[in-house]
Amino acid sequence: MALFAVDYASKLGADYVDARLENHYNELIIVANGKVQRGVINRKRGIGIRTLVNGAWGFQSTTDLTKKGIRQAAKIAFKVAKASSKHVQTPVKLAKAKAYKTSYKTKVKIDLENVVFEEKLEQIITWEKSLHTSKRIVRGLAEYTGIKIDKVFASSEGANIRFSNSLAWASLKADSKKGGLTQFYERTVGHSGGYEIFQKNDMEKVASEVGHKAESLLNAKAAKMEKDATVILDNDYAALLVHEIIGHPSEADRVLGREAAWAGTTWWAGKIGEKIGSDNLTAYDDPTVPGTLGYYLYDDEGVKAGRKVLIEKGVLKGHMHSRETAAIFGVKPNAGMRAITFEYIPLIRMSNTFFGEGDWKKEEMIEETKHGYLVSCMRHPSIDDKRYNWTISAQEAYEIKNGELTTHLRDVALTSTAPKFFKSIDAVSKKIELLPLPGCGKGDPMQALYVGNGGPYIRGVATLLGVK
Amino acid sequence: MASLMTSLREAGKTLLKIAEKKGLDEAEAYLVSNKVLTVRLVNNSVFEAKGVHDIGVGLRVIKGNMLGFSSTADFSKKSLEKLVEAAASTAKARKLPFKYSFPKPRKIPKVAGVYDKKLAELPSEKAVDLAYQMVDASLSHSKKIKDNAGVLNVVSYETLLLNTHGVSAKNSGTFFEASLSATAKSGKNVSEGSDATAGRRLKELKPKEVGEKAAEMAVSGLKSKKLKEDTYTVILDYEPASGVLGYVSMLVSPMIAKLYFPLLLDKMGKKIASQQITLIDDPLMPNGVGSAPVDDEGTPSKKKIIINKGVLKAFVYDSFYGAIEKKKTTGNAVRASFAVGVSSFPGKNYNGEPIPVPRNPYFKPGKWKREEILEETKQGLLVRRFHYTRLTNPTRGDFTSVLRMGLYAVKNGEVAGALKKSRLIDNLLNMLQNVDAVSDKLVVAGSWGDYAHTPIIRTKAHVAPID
Repeated sequence: MALFAVDYASKLGADYVDARLENHYNELIIVANGKVQRGVINRKRGIGIRTLVNGAWGFQSTTDLTKKGIRQAAKIAFKVAKASSKHVQTPVKLAKAKAYKTSYKTKVKIDLENVVFEEKLEQIITWEKSLHTSKRIVRGLAEYTGIKIDKVFASSEGANIRFSNSLAWASLKADSKKGGLTQFYERTVGHSGGYEIFQKNDMEKVASEVGHKAESLLNAKAAKMEKDATVILDNDYAALLVHEIIGHPSEADRVLGREAAWAGTTWWAGKIGEKIGSDNLTAYDDPTVPGTLGYYLYDDEGVKAGRKVLIEKGVLKGHMHSRETAAIFGVKPNAGMRAITFEYIPLIRMSNTFFGEGDWKKEEMIEETKHGYLVSCMRHPSIDDKRYNWTISAQEAYEIKNGELTTHLRDVALTSTAPKFFKSIDAVSKKIELLPLPGCGKGDPMQALYVGNGGPYIRGVATLLGVK
Repeated sequence: MASLMTSLREAGKTLLKIAEKKGLDEAEAYLVSNKVLTVRLVNNSVFEAKGVHDIGVGLRVIKGNMLGFSSTADFSKKSLEKLVEAAASTAKARKLPFKYSFPKPRKIPKVAGVYDKKLAELPSEKAVDLAYQMVDASLSHSKKIKDNAGVLNVVSYETLLLNTHGVSAKNSGTFFEASLSATAKSGKNVSEGSDATAGRRLKELKPKEVGEKAAEMAVSGLKSKKLKEDTYTVILDYEPASGVLGYVSMLVSPMIAKLYFPLLLDKMGKKIASQQITLIDDPLMPNGVGSAPVDDEGTPSKKKIIINKGVLKAFVYDSFYGAIEKKKTTGNAVRASFAVGVSSFPGKNYNGEPIPVPRNPYFKPGKWKREEILEETKQGLLVRRFHYTRLTNPTRGDFTSVLRMGLYAVKNGEVAGALKKSRLIDNLLNMLQNVDAVSDKLVVAGSWGDYAHTPIIRTKAHVAPID
């Protein structure tokens, strides 16, 4: 069917055509305070046809998979591209890419559909129950998502790639209250794979840890502002930082100003090859890491994926590309294109973006900090449109005095500018951890996508804020 | 298209029959045909034109006190059988501690101006030209305009709701949203401007106006000063006022309040805003951006007061959240998919269960003319655009937004120059309490898929410069 669509649109006169024929299975369960809020199974299949005509993109998707439906969609995709080409200043060119014919699968031990829905629901109810470690927990929330996608990518250049993917994650959140003080703590467990992730992790234990954390924050001290403090970021906090101030601004379409109207631009446009941080700063994007939420081997343009070096030893090395932006930058395409379903035209997206490793042990980093803060677990980001100024709140922090963790702090955030923080990084630990971030937003219409983010422990300088 | 509605009805009837045969007590099919055309403008060009035609069905079933849901885009007999089984399986462990039944048939009102044949049948090449007119108008406005990016979405949908109580509710609608961001440059100075609008009929789409307004804002910011951190009297123009409206509307959903944003949960009957604030939800408003004769579970639309002169009067309900609190539905069921990895387009979605939210909310217009509010502000700020607005603490109401563009000083009743990028950091409830002027006209404003009718409002807020 995908080949039929590609052939048909090519015959209409398109210079390039690709089609994604996809079959989706999604399940969602939400339990709050013992009550099931959502229990949903969604199925969807259809095709998205992308055409390039005289240097302009056209796209049409349909859920009507009859030959008539596909022909109709291909015609529209061709027609809108042709109409758009009248208003194009710089015609789109695609960087060369090998057309692969292959098939691959995400490794799955327990197929999501082989666990009875009822059984999953009961488990998630139990996890939510485990969040309530005491009367101080006033609200528990457990959300589970399971996704299976089978897709075929075909292009007029001869590519034909089949990918069976499976993803599963669960987020657990506990709200605590004492007098007028409210706090919360949350954690997400997830991977690309099957339901086995929830057997590998003792989810009831994870939930009770989340509950205890939320309780402990009630006794923590409110953070107070401290300018230019020494801060050690744990993997979890580093995950959101790398996502917001390295991942997003590394999207080449954003660098080119194409996302200006919605998400914004990036301050480092035109700075490739320049030193933007200390020697200790390295960052990658790599979709080929098995088991991560950002896992794939070929992107939605059929380009073979590998590790993208974004920053190496403080030098800005490269961006995430589509075939089109690669042609503009004069580089090889690096498989950065993804769409959440066949209904969307792909965009340049993060896969797994993370800080590179250093040679410190995290214990040493703490021991060799005279005065500073261990800032732990991401909360909310607030970043300006150039990804320059950033403020990111954390779930908790500990004051470090003479190499030891002392006072437990709540309502804490860090703020700095990207270059200032990058230059201040003076120690990075060895062990990298990649965390699941299931809700990365980009595009219009919005495409909420799952990615992996993380890194080692990182020490640098930022201003500590008390969040009120 | 009569044939489309016929095939939706056929599939719906089949589903209800299968459900009955499988021994389910109640069933409800929500069938959707949703068409979206998106024209994206980038770097002064049409970058891409993309369309979606999505036909599918969401099925809810009740068995005893258990409720289930599933959806599919495949209308083959085999797939419909599978759909009923999936819905039944999701119901199995979802036991409700209260009595729940789908809505019963009721008389459906009419709403004018929500479907426009001209917009529904707009040829895609014409849409591309209309979108480009925004860029053209912006570039023509000033030579200082160097870049434009934007979007035009054209949506048309038809839905049919059938349930085993005999509800049969059709709903057709069209709408568009058009937005443009312009960048002006002069020497080393760079400034941005934007405008956005939405509507239900083609004749309301004025792309040139959007382009000119965006360009005007961009040029006006070329010479700007850094602001001093302080608490200011702020005039929130239509777009930022719609941002405040959007958050308040979300907070009166019992589902969102219970799960995510509890700020108003314990404030029923209390004064949460100044006298000037009356919040109404009126999905019967002719030509309203959120208007329709029925909600997404077939309940007739009705007008309701949510905040009356500052006092929180009501939350909004669908049948499910109504049943939880032993209240009647207020006709506020909206199907929105909020699962990651599941598409959620402008228009109608069948892949989510209903949630209760205001459908066509607005702040009741006040007595002030827009110019009067400005004239009677001795010292303060005019905020024409919010960017990246967040309720950072959903229990306490901490509220923040980046004032990325369109920020001006107001002195002695006049706009006295543009200000550099700043951040508003305050508390949503304090901001509502401090509203002392509401303008007399409703205008459609918003951004990124979220539009509403709103007046402008004047309040107080803490604003700090961004380095």
